[in-house]
This record gives sequence, C-alpha cells and structure tokens, in this order.
Amino acid sequence: MTANTLYIDQDRGFQRLNPLTKLVISLFLIILALVLPCMWAGYIVFLLAVVPLALWGGILRPLWSALWKIVLPFAISMFVIQGLFWTGGTPVVALGPFSLKAEGLIFATRITGRLLAIMGSFLLVSLGTAPDDLMISLEQRGVPNSITYIILSTIQLVPGLQARSEKIRDAQRARGLETEGNIIQRTRSMLPLVEPLVLGSIIDVDERAIALEARGFSREGDKTFYRTVEDRRWEQTLRWVLAVSALFLILGRILWPFIGRFLGGG
Amino acid sequence: MIDLENVAYAYPQATEPALRGITLHVPDGQFLAVVGGNRAGKSTLSYVLSGFIPHHFKGTYRGKIEVAGMDLTQASLGEIAGVVGLVFSNPFNQISGARFTVEEEVAFGLENMGVPSSEMPGRVAKALEMTGLSEMARRSPYALSGGQQQRLALASMLVMQPQLLVLDEPTSQLDPAAKIEVFEVLDRLATEGGMTVVLIEHELEWIGDFADRVIVMHKGRIVNDGDPREVLADEALIEMGVGNTAYTIAARQAREEGLIAGDQALPVTLSQAVDYFEGSLDRR
Repeated sequence: MTANTLYIDQDRGFQRLNPLTKLVISLFLIILALVLPCMWAGYIVFLLAVVPLALWGGILRPLWSALWKIVLPFAISMFVIQGLFWTGGTPVVALGPFSLKAEGLIFATRITGRLLAIMGSFLLVSLGTAPDDLMISLEQRGVPNSITYIILSTIQLVPGLQARSEKIRDAQRARGLETEGNIIQRTRSMLPLVEPLVLGSIIDVDERAIALEARGFSREGDKTFYRTVEDRRWEQTLRWVLAVSALFLILGRILWPFIGRFLGGG
Repeated sequence: MIDLENVAYAYPQATEPALRGITLHVPDGQFLAVVGGNRAGKSTLSYVLSGFIPHHFKGTYRGKIEVAGMDLTQASLGEIAGVVGLVFSNPFNQISGARFTVEEEVAFGLENMGVPSSEMPGRVAKALEMTGLSEMARRSPYALSGGQQQRLALASMLVMQPQLLVLDEPTSQLDPAAKIEVFEVLDRLATEGGMTVVLIEHELEWIGDFADRVIVMHKGRIVNDGDPREVLADEALIEMGVGNTAYTIAARQAREEGLIAGDQALPVTLSQAVDYFEGSLDRR
C-alpha cells in the first residue's frame, strides 16, 4: 500500500519547484479565471497556463483523466439547465416546447470555463506536489504543525477512505456479500460498508493521535527539520509578483464599475 | 525509574475501575514484562506509564505516578514524550502520515522535540540499523510489511532515546515471521541494556528469554511479581487466561507422571527445557 495521496513522484522541473510556488501559481490562476470579465477567461487560463505546466510536470494525462470526470457532468447539467430555463432570454435553438437561450448558454460557458481552470489548477498542485514537502515548507515559515497536519489529512482523506472501503468491501465479499449487479443491488451493498468505515476511522484517529503525541507532536517550543525544502530566490520573487498581481486584479475587478462610470461620466 | 504508588483508575462511564491499588517500583535499566488475561488492566497500565492517563483518557485516577522523577500527572504530553516512548499493537496507525519516507518518519519525533538538525542523521541511522531497516530508509512507510512497520514504530521511539520504553503487545497483530522480526529487535534491546523497558506481551517463551522480571496482572491488580522462570511457570496463570508455555506443561506432566524426579524449577523456554530434561536424564 502506498501513501494516500494523488501525488505522482517524478524528477521534473515542475515537481522541483517549491510547494509554496506551486500553491501561489495555482491560486493566481484561479483568481485570474474568476476575475477576468471575458467569457473565455477560464478556457484561456486552462489552455495557456494549466496545460503547459502539466506538460512540464509530465502529469497532463492523469490531470485530464481526473478533470473531465469532474467537469463533464457539471458542464452538461449547466448547459441544459441554464440554456433551457434562463428566464426571458433570446432563443437560439427551439427544442419542441422549449428553447435554448443565448444568455443561458453564455453563462454556462463562462462557469464551465472557470470550473475547468479552478479544478485544473487544484489538480496541478495535488498531482505535482509531495504533501510532506508542502507541510515542511509551511512549517519552515512558522505555520503551526497542527494546521499543516490538518491540511495534509484533508489531502489524504478521500484516497484514505477509498483504500479503507476497498479493504472492507473485499472482506465482506469474501464472506458472500453481493457487490455486483444492477444499481439497486450495488447501492444496497454499500450499506454494510458504512458502519465499519465510520467506526474504524474514528478508532484510527484516536490511535493516530496517541502515536503523534508519543512523538512530541504537541510539544511547545521550536521545531527543527531533518530535511529542508529548497526555496530559490527567483521563486520567492515570483511568488511576490504573483501575489501583488492578484491583489491588483481583484482591486481592478472591484473598482472597474466605478472607474467605468467615472470615465463615462467624464 | 518507575514509581507508582497505590494507583487506581476508572475510564469514563465504566462501572468498574481498570486499575486498583497498583504499586510498582522499577529500577533503571530493568526489562520488565507484564502478563495477564483480557481486561487485566495491562494496556491501561501502559497508558498510565506514558502519561496518556490522565492527559488523553479522562476518567478518575488517584495515586502517585512518577517516571524518571517526573510527575506525569503534572507534566505535559510534550514533556513526557522526551522521557517515555510508547509502541502499541497496530503498526499501521503508528505511522504519522506526516512524512513519506522511512528515514523521515523516524526523524519526525526528533523534529518535534527540537533536536538540532545536525544531530538527526546519526541518530536516525543508528535507530534504523538497530531495527534492521537501514536498507529501507528511502522507501515509503506505507510500502512496508506489517512486521517492518512495527519495527519502524520501534525505530521511531528508539531514535528519541527515551529513558523508559513501553511496548503494549507489539506483536499481537503480526504473523509469526513478523513477530520474530520484532522479537529480535527486543532481544537486542535487552542484551544491550541501558534503557528501561516495560513489555506487555502474550508470548511467554520470548518473555522468559529476555525479561529481568515479570509481573502478572489480574482484574486491575498486580497478583504476582518476580523472576520470569518462577512467575511464568506458575500453574495459576492458566486459570487467569495467560497460560503456560508448552515446555512448562510438558515438564509438569512428566513430573506428575513420575517420569522426572526432583524439585528444580519448571522450564519456560526451549533452552531451559533442554537443560531440564537433559539434567533429569543424567541423574537417571
């Protein structure tokens, strides 16, 4: 069994970036996709930033494989609901008693693009960053280990629960539980999973807490590090540049209507 | 090293106390084994000795709990971690999840204790060597077998150089081959000496091999305390659910059937049994 993370360990340039740099890049791309007024902003961010970075890290295939499963169902529902039920919009295509509205389709296009950029950026960090490197980087900047541990646990939560439920399912299958069949049979087979999954997780949390405490996790005072995560000068500069740019983008977005009104009025 | 005076403890909402009037004094460097049946209070004793009672497990307690001169009821868990190490039965849950290689996992406790970074590699290498994990230093802790993970838990404690190491059934969830891996490390600990060890264990033969002293717990009390061979060969252990080793049972039966005369102590381990039966044959 491997660690419960999405991280794909490869010795490539993107993976060698400091985790905080990757985190800041990711947040910057998300802000960019949300703040730019253009309908295609999300798609542009995804194609011009997320895809090249994923290619650099050699993680484009797993990123895309995870991404479309999230974005496609959302996109379909967005286009159907917003397209058909947009109130008072301009009809584009008639479908019997219904019609697709241009405004609804534009809205769905914009939101889907944003989701593509947000999830793509999130997966970029998840697939390209070793969680322990992220934890060490944050702790080296004085973030308390209790907080970094919560972040790490959150990253590992879903894969961890998946691994545990697989084990329980295997054990139950070995004792004759039917897990194949139609949707009703498969849903029914989920029920016996719940109790051991929840109870087992609670017991594990308690034991893990004891194991951590036995190793001085809650000790007050300075921590030291067995290994340091490299943080090059240019990466620090890049992070500052991105942070300040993000701030300007947000401010610009907030102030734009006032500026527009002022200019228009002038 | 250990000074327990009249310690009693009851878990929250429990109808009966888990420990009743425990008085135990253990000198520095002693290898003490604890045996007992189910609900005897062994694990509760391990939590008392490692400070998790009363700091983690609430409930009611009384008595004096001191380890290495430190009052564990007053010290914080962080302070206690520098003095007492605890290894328990589930190897998987002892992996911190915070570090992704074996060597970093071992160093995790040192990082928390603020040990200088320059000191860490030497201490980590020594702990890995002692537990036979040197060649796995760069592997993921999650990729190890159960026995290797338990040795990793041991290494993670040994690296912190505790004055007292408490092991609560460290082999109970392991297969026979993995048990041997862990016992070999414990054997080394006992042979090299220096550290005070409290081992809670069901494998009586191993205990008989390397413990300096054995205590027997029953219903929250210490009911026997003494030399391993004397204590572990006691027939009363069978009724308490602890049992005797096959060697003890065979020797007792041979004596009862008149095959062997004499009143020498019954054997507990294989080597003791060989001596016991060879001695009897010589006398014939």
